[in-house]
Amino acid sequence: MEDLKLTLKQQIIESLNLQGMTPADIDDNAPLFGDGLGLDSIDSLELMVLLERNYGIKIEDAREGRKVLESVASMAAYIEQNRKI
Amino acid sequence: MMKPVYISAAAALSPQNSFDADTLLPDVISSDNGKLFVKDTDYSKFINPVAIRRMSRMLKIGISTGIKAVQLSGAEKLDGIITGTGRGSMRDMELFLGDMIRLKEEALNPTYFIQSTYNSVNGWLAMQTKCTGYNQTYVHRGHSFEMSLLDAKMLLHDATEPQTYLVGCLDEMTDDYFIVKSKIGYWKKALPNSLQLLQHSNTQGSIGGEGAAFFTITNTSANSICSVEQLKMLQKPTAAFVQENIDSILSAHGMKLKDIDVVLCGMSGDARFQPLYTPILENTTAHTTVAAFKHLCGEYDTSTGFAMWLATKLFQEQSTPEVLIQKKGINPAINNILIVNHYTLNSASVVLMKKS
Repeated sequence: MEDLKLTLKQQIIESLNLQGMTPADIDDNAPLFGDGLGLDSIDSLELMVLLERNYGIKIEDAREGRKVLESVASMAAYIEQNRKI
Repeated sequence: MMKPVYISAAAALSPQNSFDADTLLPDVISSDNGKLFVKDTDYSKFINPVAIRRMSRMLKIGISTGIKAVQLSGAEKLDGIITGTGRGSMRDMELFLGDMIRLKEEALNPTYFIQSTYNSVNGWLAMQTKCTGYNQTYVHRGHSFEMSLLDAKMLLHDATEPQTYLVGCLDEMTDDYFIVKSKIGYWKKALPNSLQLLQHSNTQGSIGGEGAAFFTITNTSANSICSVEQLKMLQKPTAAFVQENIDSILSAHGMKLKDIDVVLCGMSGDARFQPLYTPILENTTAHTTVAAFKHLCGEYDTSTGFAMWLATKLFQEQSTPEVLIQKKGINPAINNILIVNHYTLNSASVVLMKKS
């Protein structure tokens, strides 16, 4: 699980072009949107693409998507249970 | 005839040191690979750091240039933003289309798509300047910038109160675009250096270029640099047609070619289009300086914007740098400038400007 979180953080940094950030700067449980990492709605689309492209996960339900994208920890937990790649 | 409009500030990001320098062309930048790319600046000075991470280079170039023009003008409120682009954000479009093929049209990144739309620069400029007024982007190939300028002229002609519009243009070149256009003879096959472009006007092709130029344009002459008296767009131009329109513009303002201090010509070094400028070189008297600019910015759809930025600088500095001069005139002052430009065989434009 820790390896997955590290990989996920690297993928988030690369995909969202979070310049100057390293995986160590992202807290596992900090919110990705709003006060935490400060991501916005377009970033959420990019994260959905990241999940689909790297893990074969398609989230159709917006409410479920919101829960999954709460933090790196929630994303990693969902990936572990649902990944197809 | 439409009323003149006035330029109160101008900014340009180009292959030259046009953005950060205090003087006109303090150094001349050249290239030996047939392409002239914009000289980047520190975009973080003009764009929110959270927003900038997702922006393509073209967005950064366009937004920074627009914001700088607004800052230079001191305008507190814009009545509208009007932009012209012949090609929009090419790089984002290429990335998006490349992903479509590579990923078989699945799981495509939204950012490339959003940014590759032609009006994304205008949208960002509106948000940055909090301008909720008129917002228009013209995508008319070689007349894109001219259409924006014409739109601003028409809006200001009808305005009864003082108004200010941000008017500009932007186009970028990518390696793929350069390769595609080279296949249909856009670029010179061999050119030692971009500064020698005009000495090779007996062969086909030009050099690739890109850039952005923005102007704050008003209907009041107070604190303005110059006016744009008249603008004409010509389709399928011939030398005679261009000359006829130059004569008609000048005549409408009670002027003759000898009253023009500098003619800024869009000679591109391409033998096919050089005849458009032959009458100007032949008919100008000893008074008038004939200058060229495409060896400094390259050929692209909206290069008239670069020429107009150059004109504002010539008015301000009252001298024409040697690197521009094709035929030196004896004019002691620069009060009237005529821009004559073309883009491919399809479009040309003539713009008459006067110092305020």
